[in-house]
Amino acid sequence: MNNLLKFTIGIFLSLGVAWLAFVVGARAQFGDLSPSSQNLDDDGNIPLDADLYPLPLSGTAEQGSKEYLALGCMTCHTQQVRMVEAGFDVERGWGQRPSVARDYIHQEHVLLGNTRIGPDLANVGRRQPDLEWLHKHLFEPQSLVPQSLCPPSPFLYDQVDQPSDKSITVVDDSNISRFIVPSIRAKRLVSYIRSLHQDYELPEMAFVINEEDEPDEAAGKENLLDFDSNQSSLPSWLDTQIASGKEIYMKAAPGGGLCFTCHQPTGEGLAGQFPPLAGSDWVLGDKERLIKISIYGLMGEIEVNGIKYNNVMAPPGIPPGSLTDQQIADVLTYIRNDWGNSASAVTSLEVSAVRSQIKGRAPMQMWTAAELNAVDE
Amino acid sequence: MKLNSEQIIDKSLKLVVCFFVASAGLWLLAAALFAYISAAKLTDPFFLSSFEYFTYGKIKLAQANAFVYGWGGNSIFAVTLWIVARLAQTESRGRVLVIFAGIIWNLAITFGLLGILDGHMTPHEMLEMPAEVWPALFISYCVIAFFIVVVHRSRKNKETIAPQWFLLSSLLWFPMLFLIAWNGLEINPARGTVQSVLSMWFGQSLIWLWLTPVALGAAYYIIPAILGRAIDKYYLAVFGFWCIATLAPWSVVHHLEGGPVPMWIPAIGTVMSIAMIFPIAVASTNFHSTAFLDISKVWDSLPLRFVIFGTLSYTISSYIGVIFSLPSVAKITQFSIINDFHFNQRVYGFFSMIIFGMVYYILPKITGNEIAKGAKAFHFWTSAFGVLILLLAYLIGGLTHGVLAQQPSLSWASSVISSVMPYFLITELAFIVLGFSQLVFVINVWKAIIPNPFAFWTCGDSQSKPETSA
Repeated sequence: MNNLLKFTIGIFLSLGVAWLAFVVGARAQFGDLSPSSQNLDDDGNIPLDADLYPLPLSGTAEQGSKEYLALGCMTCHTQQVRMVEAGFDVERGWGQRPSVARDYIHQEHVLLGNTRIGPDLANVGRRQPDLEWLHKHLFEPQSLVPQSLCPPSPFLYDQVDQPSDKSITVVDDSNISRFIVPSIRAKRLVSYIRSLHQDYELPEMAFVINEEDEPDEAAGKENLLDFDSNQSSLPSWLDTQIASGKEIYMKAAPGGGLCFTCHQPTGEGLAGQFPPLAGSDWVLGDKERLIKISIYGLMGEIEVNGIKYNNVMAPPGIPPGSLTDQQIADVLTYIRNDWGNSASAVTSLEVSAVRSQIKGRAPMQMWTAAELNAVDE
Repeated sequence: MKLNSEQIIDKSLKLVVCFFVASAGLWLLAAALFAYISAAKLTDPFFLSSFEYFTYGKIKLAQANAFVYGWGGNSIFAVTLWIVARLAQTESRGRVLVIFAGIIWNLAITFGLLGILDGHMTPHEMLEMPAEVWPALFISYCVIAFFIVVVHRSRKNKETIAPQWFLLSSLLWFPMLFLIAWNGLEINPARGTVQSVLSMWFGQSLIWLWLTPVALGAAYYIIPAILGRAIDKYYLAVFGFWCIATLAPWSVVHHLEGGPVPMWIPAIGTVMSIAMIFPIAVASTNFHSTAFLDISKVWDSLPLRFVIFGTLSYTISSYIGVIFSLPSVAKITQFSIINDFHFNQRVYGFFSMIIFGMVYYILPKITGNEIAKGAKAFHFWTSAFGVLILLLAYLIGGLTHGVLAQQPSLSWASSVISSVMPYFLITELAFIVLGFSQLVFVINVWKAIIPNPFAFWTCGDSQSKPETSA
């Protein structure tokens, strides 16, 4: 301890041994992984005609990863699905399988992160591929997820006074619409976010759950239970329609309706803001009005069960207005037959009849309650 | 008046130590401001949200870097310079070069933090400052370290004691760690998650091998110095030192539990983390069995009160750290705000508290100006209270965060994160308390260094006016 040289060598060695393991050893073990096919052939080789994963990032996404780093997104978001025994990441729906070292080999900077104040983003591109949703979320997360702590990034967008084909409409809780045009940086960032998905298998890691059939199965089971206990006397075609309608009502991903975010899973709405569906005179009343609202949305003042509401309902569906006739029929049948409601089913024929009746209407032009009632009379 | 040898050494150190302590204080205030902004942004995401320079991610990293390199780095230089020179019974060397290097160090951090705020950060843990500033930081560090080693080599007594081992090893570990990490991340970058292993290893080792040994060395120095008695069971200290040296660089990687790296890496980390109970126990025994022999004297001496607060915090929180490295617990706490608990207990509850004590001990000796007792006591109580509240909020909030995150059925923003919100609010309040506390500390320090700031202007007094950087 008294000889400075020996002391220096000692503390250098203590660090050097760890360096040998974590730097030299780790590099030798997994520092030169190469892309691989999803499955190997019988001899353990990559089949000649197989696609290789992970796919390289596109140029725009690569640029976006630099924006992601520069804005400090990594402080709150991880990009790793942990091993099944080390946490419930897969169960939470953050990935079909745990992440492995090979998933990251194309990244210039690996942005694993170590804190989750926001959700994990390893598979966000698979969970949330909708461009418009991502732009709105970057501009003001709270417009989509009211409790979000994610800081808004208004500096990535130009706000314009009039909507145009390049602008995206963001509606806040006080019903004010803003029109934003994404900058090149926002587009890069969204492109990068959409590129984040580990939705391929690798020889060393197979899918733990297969999301392709998982939601259907789960939803099916849930609904079977519901209907077994409550409404077992319903005919099976109605059961199916209600089950499918409930899934659309509750789904916050493409193909879903996102209805529950305003009208709530309970169908009670939010007092003063969003009207209830349970026991609503509109829901249980004329089908044509309902179908019209489901195709084009609704805005302005509306009186439901004697209480006035004033808000905007974008055309339901992700992206807006994308629900098919059958989906609209299913979701309307569902809201007319849950939470104590009981009214006749809506068929896809009825929906297509209304759609062709109003086909001259400009796209995305929302109804007003007055307009609907006038047609009614 | 004839000066004794200690006073001569103190006189030779006056300018350099004052320079580093004064700059450290300013960085502490900068870090406190960043800490408040980042905490406030978690309670209200719209706070300052229209300024791109102040995104939460950037502010949080700026705070960590200002704290570790600005406050930590400068105070490490001050404390190491002084203790090493005193124990070597040798006057300091190369003062002009040391001050010059110190100015470069502070300028480099200033540019580095501006770089982070401007979006030029690197993704490597605790190396976030832009690549351009690191050569300047590294060279200025080496200059300062070189002159400290020169003083140590010309020591009168060839026998070395515990404070010297800890301070010297910390001095030498930082450049080694840096070169390893810089080579593997920037010069000759590794591919894929090898980067993550290396960056995590550097970030955590920096706390264990740079900040921790300085605080331990300072405690080994100041406890016997004030109490006037030898360290109890001193023969254990050498064992404790080599345990830290050999185990700490291995133990830090347990944070990668379950991640996309080979399993042996977090597994080794966990085993070594458990083995860390030996050095923790040694330090704890040495400090506390000495201090509790004379507890009333500890209570009366304010510097010592700070130091014992720090060593107690070290013991308790290091044991908590061992528990959190067990895989079954890590599963819950891994990505939660427990990480902030670890960081703050180590750099604040432990390192900074000991440094506060050291500064209050050194400054009156080298400047000859006493610091008002009430101001010191105010600083102690607000710091102790603020740190306790902060750490409890992060600990309980982190457990809540982790446990709820393990329930796949709870929605993320509306259930998991909104349950942690109250704790974010508490941390914001704690940072306000700590901010005031640190302001008092900085005023105390600056008043001791420049008792009459206007004398310099009015009488052209030869009073040394330290350079500032922030």
